[in-house]
Amino acid sequence: MYIPFLNIFSMLDNLKNFYKTLLKIFGNKKDIQLGFYGAVNAGKTTLANKISLDWLGEEVGVVSEIPHETRQVQKVENIVVKTNNGELKMNVVDMPGIATQVDYKQFTEFGIGEKGAKERAKEATKGVIEAIKWLDNVDAVLVVLDSTEDPYTQVNVTIIGNLEARGIPTIIVANKIDLPESSNTKIENAFPQHIVVPISAATGENLEQLYNAIQEHLT
Amino acid sequence: MEVQLDFVSSESLSPMGSMEKVAFILARIKKDIIVVLEEGLNPNEEAELIESTMREINTKDFHGIEFYRLDNPPNNLRSKIASYIAGKRFGLTIVGPTRMVRAIKKEPDYLSMLAKGGRKKRRINVQSAKKSTKKGRKKS
Repeated sequence: MYIPFLNIFSMLDNLKNFYKTLLKIFGNKKDIQLGFYGAVNAGKTTLANKISLDWLGEEVGVVSEIPHETRQVQKVENIVVKTNNGELKMNVVDMPGIATQVDYKQFTEFGIGEKGAKERAKEATKGVIEAIKWLDNVDAVLVVLDSTEDPYTQVNVTIIGNLEARGIPTIIVANKIDLPESSNTKIENAFPQHIVVPISAATGENLEQLYNAIQEHLT
Repeated sequence: MEVQLDFVSSESLSPMGSMEKVAFILARIKKDIIVVLEEGLNPNEEAELIESTMREINTKDFHGIEFYRLDNPPNNLRSKIASYIAGKRFGLTIVGPTRMVRAIKKEPDYLSMLAKGGRKKRRINVQSAKKSTKKGRKKS
């Protein structure tokens, strides 16, 4: 059915694009605040470390197989990346993984004592809250997904739904493509409305493509 | 093994604000009740649900929630307004305590959940706009 008044949305889209172009030409270009969001153990800190190590020579945080290793927001400022179209200036904000549950027993399985595990669980819950609060402070977001896992989880749906509702420009990063069981097609099928860039944060594969995508779509 | 499910109609949730909805859900979850919402939460409410859950988690008996929405909200302005005009709402949502919800298979239009019993109970509750929570309960 043709609904004539919906044409107004095409006009609005055109106006938005025109405004963006004007901003690019005349606007006061500032570094973008780029948040890394995703579920626990998706590889956000591995990616932040790789980018920071390559361009600043220092790592952002500790990476481990223990869930909730990143329990506080970690920020790296003034990263300048050389891309096909010049320079990409950004501040990377590595968020704690989003989860709907935190059980201290999941940490004791990794050999952490009960007292330490309980403290870690407490910090992990605070980290999740902090990450959600930071949604109000980021200019753009990379949603890092583990491409070896089912992408259609409620955590992923909630993160992406919130970014869409707030109008925050987003790229989905299909991480861990170096692993044989990875599938970025599943991610593309689950979230067809978004750009998906397959990478391996561990090996650095396709990072150049990611930088170009950030520059093209998020700045 | 006994599981209590509370079915909540969209009419009974719609007068509530976001925080009120989240408090309503979490109060039941903490009593080991699985809540089935006829109308799902919007993304902002889902984020509030996660945030509030994190505040309530303790090391004794509450480790969090599992929740699942059967469909996605419209993802652009055009479809949002078209859905609003058509009266479409976000889909059925199930929220349960993590220690009871055992396994899930989820696709955009299909949801399968296994749950194990919490405390000793065996009730199916249906809440509608016309009946309060207590009045709407049926014991089986």
